Amino acid sequence: MPTALGCAAALTLAAGCSAAAATGAPGNSAAKSAVTVKVDARSVPGVGTVLVTSTGYALYMFEPDNRHSVSCTGACAGTWPPLQLPAGAAPAAGPGVKPSLLGSDPDPAGGRVVTYDGWPLYTYTGDIQPGQATGQNIDLNGGEWYVIGPSGQPLIPAP
Amino acid sequence: MTGRSYLPSRRAALLSGGGLLVGAGAASAGWALSDPAPASASVTVSAVIPPDDDLMREHGVLKRVLLCYREMITRAQAGRPLSAAHVQGAALIIHDFIEGFHEGLEEGYVFPRLAKAGVLVSTVDTLLVQHARGRVITQFLLAHSTAGQLAGAGVTTRIAAAMQAFVTMYEPHEAREDTVVFPAFRQAVPPAELADLGQHFADLERQQFGTDEFTAMVDRVAGIEQELGIYDLAQFTPVVSPYEPGE
Repeated sequence: MPTALGCAAALTLAAGCSAAAATGAPGNSAAKSAVTVKVDARSVPGVGTVLVTSTGYALYMFEPDNRHSVSCTGACAGTWPPLQLPAGAAPAAGPGVKPSLLGSDPDPAGGRVVTYDGWPLYTYTGDIQPGQATGQNIDLNGGEWYVIGPSGQPLIPAP
Repeated sequence: MTGRSYLPSRRAALLSGGGLLVGAGAASAGWALSDPAPASASVTVSAVIPPDDDLMREHGVLKRVLLCYREMITRAQAGRPLSAAHVQGAALIIHDFIEGFHEGLEEGYVFPRLAKAGVLVSTVDTLLVQHARGRVITQFLLAHSTAGQLAGAGVTTRIAAAMQAFVTMYEPHEAREDTVVFPAFRQAVPPAELADLGQHFADLERQQFGTDEFTAMVDRVAGIEQELGIYDLAQFTPVVSPYEPGE
C-alpha cells in the first residue's frame, strides 16, 4: 500500500515524489499543461471533514509557516513531506474544496508547495493509510500541526 | 567526498581514533571520553560518518534516555517522587533530537529508499506507526510533568506508565533498526550516494543544532544521568565471582 512517505528528501531521493503527488501524465508539453495536484476533502474519524490528497491522506498546516512561507525543511520535511507542485503543474480542487483558496509557495528545498488559504500543505509519515490524521494537534519540529478544513480554517482543538 | 570539520567535538574524537579531549564544556562538567588533552589542543578531522552509523550513534542517545526513564519508573514504583526537571529534561531530548530530527532523517531518507526497493515494507509501516505513537507519549510527558502536576494524586503513576510504554516500544524498535533496517538500507544505496547522504545529514545537523549537536545531546543526557545517580557505568557491572551457572 502506498504511504505518504518519501517526498521530502530533495538531495537524493526526489525521484518519483512529484509524480506520486500529481495526477495526470507528464511526458510532453501538451500533457504537462494538464498535470494537476488535486486537493480533496473527506471525513476523517475523530477530526471531521479535512483536506486530503488525491489518495486520501490528511493534509496538515504548520503554525510557524504563518500562512506565509514553507518553513518545514530538512529533517522536518522527512516527517512532514510537503505536497509538492511539479513544474508546470497546477493545484486542482476536488468536490467541497474552494479553488480560489488554492495556490503555491516556493519550497526552500526546491520546487513549489501547494497552499490553501495561504497555508503550505504537508502530509504526515505517521499516517500509513488514507483516512487517518495521527499528526493532528502534535507539537513537533518547532510548532503545532493541525489538519485544515475546506473553509481554510485549521482545526485547532479547544484547550 | 566533501569533508567537514568540528573543533573540538566528540564526533571528531570518535573519528580520529580516540584519545582526544571531548570538549571543554564536557570536561569541565566532569565527564569526558578519555584523558583530557591540553586546553589548547584542537583537532581537525575531515571525514563523513556514513548515514547509518550516524543514526546508530543517535540511537545511543535514545538508549541513555530510556535508561533515565527506567530509573524514574523504578522510583515511581517505589513511591518516590519524580523531579519535573528530570522528566522534562529527558522528554525534551526525545522531543527535540530524536523525534524532531533523528526520526525525520529515517522517515525522509531511509524508509523511502527501502519502500522504493520493496523491502521490509511492513516493518517500515510498523516503525512509522511507532514513531507517531512515541510522539503522542512524549507530548503527554511534557504536558503533564510540571512540578505542580507531579504533586497531584496519581500523576506520577501515569507518567511512569507512559514512560514504560515508551521504553517497551523503543527498545525493540531501535534494535530492529540497527540490526535489520539500516543494514538493508546500506545494501540498497550505492556507496557514492551513501557518502553524499552522510554529508547531507551532517549539513542538516549543523543547520538545525549548530556545530556540535551530538556532544551537546550526550552532555544533556549525561547530566540527567548524574542527577539520577545512574551515570557511573561501573554500578551496572554484576558481581560474577564466584559464579556457578545454574545456581
